[in-house]
Amino acid sequence: MNGHLRSAAYICHGLVVAVAVTAAGCSPASRRAPAAAGRGGQLAVSVRIEPRTYNRFASRTETDLIVSMLTQATLFRVNHVTDEVEPWLAEKSARSADGLRYTLTLPSNVTFSDGQPFSAEDVIFSFEAAYDEKSNGTLNDVMRVGGKKLQVERVDPRTVAITFPAPYAPGLRILDNLPMVPRHKLERALKEGTITKAWGISTPPADIVGLGPFVPLEYLPGQHMTLVRNPHYWRKDGNGASLPYLDRVTLEVVPEQDAELLRLESGQVDMTTSEIRPEDYAPLKRAADGGRVKLMDLGVTLDPDSFWFNLKPGALGADPRAAWLQRDEFRDAISMAVDRQVFVDTVFLGAAVPVFGPVTPSNKKWYSPDVPHVPHDPARAKQLLASIGLIDRQGDGVLRDQRNQPVRFTLLTVKGRTALERGAAVIRDELKKIGITVDIALLEPPAVVQRLVSNSHYEALGFHVGTTDTDPASNADFWLSSGSTHVWNISEKAPATDWERRIDELMAKQMSTLDESERKRLFNDVQKIFSEHEPVLYFAASRVYAAASSRVTNVTPAVSRPQLLWSPDSIAVVQ
Amino acid sequence: MFLYLLRRLAFAAVLVFTVSSASLILARLAPGDYVTMTLGIDARRDAAEALRAQYGLNRSIAEQYRDWLFHAARLDFGRSLLYDTPVNELVRERAANTALLAATALAAATLVGIPLGVVAGSRRGLLSQFIRAVSLLLLSLPSLLTSLLLVAVAARTGWFPIGDMRSMGASPGATLSTVDLLWHLVVPATALALPIAAMFERVQSQSMADVIGQPYVLAALARGVPRSRVVWRDALRPALRPVAAVYGLVVGALFSGSFAVEVVTAWPGLGRLMLEALRARDLYLVAGCAAAGSVFLALGTLVSDMALAAIDPRSPGDPSDPRNPGNPRDPREPRFMESAECVEAASA
Repeated sequence: MNGHLRSAAYICHGLVVAVAVTAAGCSPASRRAPAAAGRGGQLAVSVRIEPRTYNRFASRTETDLIVSMLTQATLFRVNHVTDEVEPWLAEKSARSADGLRYTLTLPSNVTFSDGQPFSAEDVIFSFEAAYDEKSNGTLNDVMRVGGKKLQVERVDPRTVAITFPAPYAPGLRILDNLPMVPRHKLERALKEGTITKAWGISTPPADIVGLGPFVPLEYLPGQHMTLVRNPHYWRKDGNGASLPYLDRVTLEVVPEQDAELLRLESGQVDMTTSEIRPEDYAPLKRAADGGRVKLMDLGVTLDPDSFWFNLKPGALGADPRAAWLQRDEFRDAISMAVDRQVFVDTVFLGAAVPVFGPVTPSNKKWYSPDVPHVPHDPARAKQLLASIGLIDRQGDGVLRDQRNQPVRFTLLTVKGRTALERGAAVIRDELKKIGITVDIALLEPPAVVQRLVSNSHYEALGFHVGTTDTDPASNADFWLSSGSTHVWNISEKAPATDWERRIDELMAKQMSTLDESERKRLFNDVQKIFSEHEPVLYFAASRVYAAASSRVTNVTPAVSRPQLLWSPDSIAVVQ
Repeated sequence: MFLYLLRRLAFAAVLVFTVSSASLILARLAPGDYVTMTLGIDARRDAAEALRAQYGLNRSIAEQYRDWLFHAARLDFGRSLLYDTPVNELVRERAANTALLAATALAAATLVGIPLGVVAGSRRGLLSQFIRAVSLLLLSLPSLLTSLLLVAVAARTGWFPIGDMRSMGASPGATLSTVDLLWHLVVPATALALPIAAMFERVQSQSMADVIGQPYVLAALARGVPRSRVVWRDALRPALRPVAAVYGLVVGALFSGSFAVEVVTAWPGLGRLMLEALRARDLYLVAGCAAAGSVFLALGTLVSDMALAAIDPRSPGDPSDPRNPGNPRDPREPRFMESAECVEAASA
């Protein structure tokens, strides 16, 4: 064989002082689903990432979360449509007057999918599994309040008491994260410190036991996971019929989004778990007009893409540009220079709304309409820049600093995320109009995340910081200066600025007070301070679309992920 | 010949060692690690460090490599961080899927490309020009686009499934199961086969045209031997040499896994597994996939050389042998620069 040809190829006790029944905790009606017309049938759902485990303690990918939603159940859940906390496995709850202790009553007739009864022991075990230090599961952080564990104790076989380490306003909302897992199946793994290694993909599906509506039947790696109705599922619909309605659910692995949509259009899958991209709206609308699919407009996203500068003191080393790159005026100028409507039209093809902060109008409870709307005003932007010494010194349209160096920075973002890529391009083009040069650097997700968590080796970053909940207290890591997702200056030992200290104080009160109106007032103040300093810039929040086959019924779409599959037991199909 | 085989096997071992080692080291040196990607940006630093220690990712690259090498020497490529499953097990399963897809695509490309090449290379006229034009079009289309086009056609017509290897709830019977598998193979195998068939056609066509111009072929034609007999009996065998030369590369490239085709058509093969491993920074799985790919590549070249030897009895299969027609010093060897260009185009 020709040598050069060959070489070319190698290449989540005690005394109740005074008891107040929580509003959410005494509503058995929420344990009943509205009745659906059809029963039986199969639902094919496409997922982009392969399932890696049946174990919620071991992974946090969206696919594994979906598998957990299908096979497991929590004591309380957040209703994605109403955004309210509702009792799920727990029948009712009572809160002590100091708000620290909750007493939960468990149902008497609930069994795991293998027929074993669910009891207070399983609740305690699930908490122990989440907090296991030997295996460091993904829920260890999530199930803590202020970095401290919740204390759980058995009162009787049907009653558990959960004590919070400090007053925590979201209260039982935190339990939406913790699936109840069977002690009789996983106790050994926990004792051996291998809880996160249990229930891997090579585990025979028959060994996977849960309280969810479905149980695994088969998993063909890289192809599909099939789940069938849990015969012992505990929930019934409004007519008293057993749920779920579906006989089986199949998760089809389709890594490529274009191929995923083609499969949806052709009826080979019934729904996708990915949000519909703006560019896919038109073809799906045609398919919807043809009656092949249902296209749902779920509203504006809860977590818009964000852009920020590295504000960690010293992060830019001896780079003299730090003198202006980390100034409030610089960020204010950029916020004014970028036309948000252009951003909406170019990046999201019009399917978005301009936003001015991290909380979007979809978050009805916490959105503050009082946050100032920054106007598009390039002239004012130039004045702000001039106030920090960035002037067009040579009359060539290029702003220069006091060393006569062009005002230029690198905006790093994630390769392959089209909205972020296009957003970076719009920022570059808009800033060019006022004489600022932006160099865009696209990197693979791991490289970007590594720079983000290390808070180094970047000047400006475009990223999607996904939020897990609408309640600001559940996203405290973003607001608090010590937080791990305080992206502009991660995990500060002490607040670097007075305004960050002020936000810390307000958030501490907001998270601990149980007076909802006071919480709202405090969080409005937080948003106001945030908008004054704009440590993170927000330009647009996209509309969220979801699509499903026209044969799918009884879905309750919601803007938060997973939009269609968050309540799988009540979904039905027309056969 | 035996010594030559030994040399080639030694070369294959060096190739597998080099490629898998380089993959592990490069994946380790790349920014970001498995723990960062698994725990996300909101993980506590101490939790992330504890997990790194658990997976041994806090050790120096030299230590990590030494341990990996120690186990790899015993054909133990470690445990996938992503799937918490032995790498060998994952790779074996996905490599089998890739091999099935590759073998099907290769067979289809061979059965279509070579005959068309013979036809296009031995005649002039509209048919030859049409074949050449279609080949050039297919060669110029990236695999990603070809795959998307075929998936779009399959989706619109509903004739073929787009993705997976078998239908959900497929009948367990062997015959039906095989039919179901073949039905699922149509789209990915066609996407993979089209550019390769086009390449084979181009290479074969040019080679055939060269051979047809050789004096012994002209003499046979002058003696009145029917043209089809001369072409298919006398000229075909020598004209197959350049195709045999590139065949190994194609086999190696095909069996190493095709990222684009496997991702678009959702075929659970080696290429897709490696892509997932790279995205998650699963070092051991990356190295395992690379090792499997290089094994295929080495085997491909070996098969290619063996095929060359079978086609041309003058060749003992040793490229250093001056009698080897693959040796560039052989003045009888036609110029096949066009073949290299075709391989590059098909690979792209």
